[in-house]
Amino acid sequence: MQAIEALFPAQNYTLLAFIVLLPLLGAAVNGIFGKRLGKEAVSLLALSVMFVSFALAVITFLALGHAQEGEEAARFVWKGWEWFRLTRSDGGTVMLDVAFSVDALNGTMALVVTGVGFLIHLYSVSYMAEDPGFHRFLTYLNLFIFSMLVLILGDSLPVLFVGWEGVGLCSYLLIGFWFEDDKNAAAGKKAFVTNRIGDFGLLVAMGLLLYYTGGLDWSSIDNGSKNLLTSVQVWPLGTHVPAASLIGGSFEHWINMPRYVSAATLVGLALFLGCAGKSAQLPLYVWLPDAMAGPTPVSALIHAATMVTAGVYLLCRLSFVMVLSPAAMAVVAVTGALTAMFAASIAFAQHDIKKVLAYSTVSQLGYMFLGVGVGAFSAGFFHVLTHAFFKACMFLGAGSVIHAMHARIHDTDASQDMRNMGGLRKYMPITFWTFTAAWAAIVGFPLTSGFFSKDEILLKAYTSFIKVPATSLSDGAGGSMEVFAWPSWLGTALYAIGILTALMTAFYMTRLYIGTFFGEFKGWKIVKNFKEPTHEHGHDDHGHGHAHHDPSVPLEGPTPHESPWQMWVPLAVLGFLAAFAGWLNAPLFHIETMHHWLEPVFAKASASVELIEGAEHLEYVFLGAAIAAFAGGSGIAYWIYVLQKGKPAQSFVEAMPGVHALVFDKWRVDELYEEYVIGAVDSLAEFFAWADKWIVDFLLARVTAFLVSTSGTALRFIQTGRVQTYAAVMVLGLGAVGWFFVTPRAEATLDSNDESGVYSLTAAEGLGYSYRWDLNNDGKWDGDKGSFGSKTQQSLNLAVKENRTVRLEVKNAFGRTAVRSFNFARPAPDRSGFTSQLEAGPAPVRRAQDLRQLPKPQEMK
Amino acid sequence: MSSLGYFVEQYVLLAGALFTLGSIGFLVRRNVLVQLMSIELMLNAVNLMLVAFNRQYMADQNGQVFAFFIIAVAAAEVAVGLAIVLAFYRLKSSVQSDEADQLRH
Repeated sequence: MQAIEALFPAQNYTLLAFIVLLPLLGAAVNGIFGKRLGKEAVSLLALSVMFVSFALAVITFLALGHAQEGEEAARFVWKGWEWFRLTRSDGGTVMLDVAFSVDALNGTMALVVTGVGFLIHLYSVSYMAEDPGFHRFLTYLNLFIFSMLVLILGDSLPVLFVGWEGVGLCSYLLIGFWFEDDKNAAAGKKAFVTNRIGDFGLLVAMGLLLYYTGGLDWSSIDNGSKNLLTSVQVWPLGTHVPAASLIGGSFEHWINMPRYVSAATLVGLALFLGCAGKSAQLPLYVWLPDAMAGPTPVSALIHAATMVTAGVYLLCRLSFVMVLSPAAMAVVAVTGALTAMFAASIAFAQHDIKKVLAYSTVSQLGYMFLGVGVGAFSAGFFHVLTHAFFKACMFLGAGSVIHAMHARIHDTDASQDMRNMGGLRKYMPITFWTFTAAWAAIVGFPLTSGFFSKDEILLKAYTSFIKVPATSLSDGAGGSMEVFAWPSWLGTALYAIGILTALMTAFYMTRLYIGTFFGEFKGWKIVKNFKEPTHEHGHDDHGHGHAHHDPSVPLEGPTPHESPWQMWVPLAVLGFLAAFAGWLNAPLFHIETMHHWLEPVFAKASASVELIEGAEHLEYVFLGAAIAAFAGGSGIAYWIYVLQKGKPAQSFVEAMPGVHALVFDKWRVDELYEEYVIGAVDSLAEFFAWADKWIVDFLLARVTAFLVSTSGTALRFIQTGRVQTYAAVMVLGLGAVGWFFVTPRAEATLDSNDESGVYSLTAAEGLGYSYRWDLNNDGKWDGDKGSFGSKTQQSLNLAVKENRTVRLEVKNAFGRTAVRSFNFARPAPDRSGFTSQLEAGPAPVRRAQDLRQLPKPQEMK
Repeated sequence: MSSLGYFVEQYVLLAGALFTLGSIGFLVRRNVLVQLMSIELMLNAVNLMLVAFNRQYMADQNGQVFAFFIIAVAAAEVAVGLAIVLAFYRLKSSVQSDEADQLRH
């Protein structure tokens, strides 16, 4: 350990660079040379970079543990190079480095990303072995790990954003990995576009943070975070609402009343939008279930264990900003709770094993947001950890099942359909037992990892709330800011939703578990491209499938089989972790390792979180409720699908086909978006297409082209092709220029000052010009016998309301003359803001500058 | 300098006459070679002007330098022009400028 500390000091921890860059190296080599290297070399490289990266992450984690003592958070930094610098309007400079840092929070996260990532790489090597895009797949996976590490280890928001977009890109590439099928490509596109909406929020949050805190790296944001308590007027957008005057009265007053929120609330909401997009929360969750179109290891790695938890990570990372705004935190908590329940309800009616797992992921992410939203950051993050284990295990188990199903069915949809499974326990025991461990964790079987992490979140949902910031809110703007304080019923409501969701989770997960592994294998009757005739009659298959199968008929064809070791070893490791990782943080048994480990990171945020009083004794009540939810949910599922052979579910579907169809169609949210959001965008696009066709293409392009070609046709007649004609035109032009020079022009610029009554005239100069003036308008030229002189500037004083006409005569070198007169009128002293009144015939023109500056010819002798 | 007996008008008049001769020649003659010579006449009229005015403003020698430039450019122009005339003659067996009217439109 001393050697590590000596080699890699905390302020220049170059090991981070290796952790981040190794997967990039793997991606680069496999991406460029993968086709020629062959499968063995590609998988060897991809696996070894992942393994070394994981080993280095473990070393980093241990070094962090060694360095972190007591309350002080250990933090290792590696600064790469200066990226860019911005100059602030107040003259200060904002430096942005490509810098990475690691502390307890993202050190743990890096362990998960590289560790689970390695296991899933190992799994993929076997799972994707027959795929022609094998090297492409491992390239994308390595690139994903690189982006994810940039995301979690980045020391500032812009660096994080690079990783954020990188994982989005990899997600897109991997969802659409089998892009020959339009459906998969569309799912990738959907994920990408939906994420862009969230990214917009993150960009806005970055702008606001830069403006208010004066920095974008974690420590600058921390230092400037007190500025986030300034109040910002958010309404009305201009000075007033124009349409309100139509109604008038007190309504107008009410709607025009300035509204203020704190900058922290704006930042918090914008951050939340970004996190909701990445972590699939309402209303942006729609992409995640579709993302299951990708290969199953992708679903396990990206859409369950790592990428989708990036939103939770960001909220934890900026916890000290989030807690400044109780309103934003309430939005996070409520959205999390609602997402958890909503997604769980959809999972009730799905038959596709991966779809059920996808909605369960959305639901579990909702739990994490609920935990983070109520200020229980370490509980929320602990759920990230346990969820990464059990959900990755479930997805990999599902992949193993699908792999086995492919022995009989070579159809993607049918091989994922639970109605074709059942009884797989006999054929694939290892998958079964690991899946059992993960199932136990997610339904909250006592003492498994999910039990501890979910219980902690639910407890905190009830007991903890966010304080209104103490230094809130002297407003400089003269308006009052509506300070949001958490109502006392909110905790109860959040808890109620949470425990109800736990019950629902136990039910649908048990349904999945029983449908897949118990009963009789229903894959025998499957022929190629077999589809159920309608969705509505789906449920009955769990109970009735075997009724159509005559056991006396001998089974033919290959049977499902256990997967090779590359696939079951990751399952076993993850299953073990799913079962026992909960002991990292088991407050019931006074084990709070995880909590203490993360405590320094969340120290500042935790100061703003309070617990309601008298909740200590509730711990065991809540424990009972959690166990009851587990037992109730899985008991009901057992009763319906095992004891009653699915009859209650079938009769429910028959009694209320409308409700079932609605839930089966995922509450038709996609259709809602299709109709309103995408419909609106489509109409906008149609309008622009129309504008493009008729305004740009027709009016701007074709009409202009027509005018040009018409005038071209007309002008073509004077293009004779005879050089003498052209020369003659040139000579004519030369003559015109000559004529211009021999004609004198009497022009002057006028400078008037109505206040003082001083008006001055400056005659335009010309080669060989001489001038004479008639200033007093007596009809005679001024000066000695009216001779021409060289005086070009004259000024005169006028009394108020006096009119005067001034004449100027100019003679050029050829003796030709020109006369011009100028009228001056001085107006009465000004009341209404009018200024000068000049009447000088045609508007005075300033002569060309170069003419004036020619030297005058010398007098000739 | 003493400008005794030096009248710039005389030179201007001479140059004007030369220039007019050149331009009339260019306009009325159809023989390309004569037209080239007329151009040379006009260029020389300008050169004369420059030198004459330079004589009047002795502070710098810009006028004379310009005259040299024009001589050099005129030489280059004649080289190019004669090459064009030669090519034209090979094409049309004629040096009448009326017949070089294919490049319009």
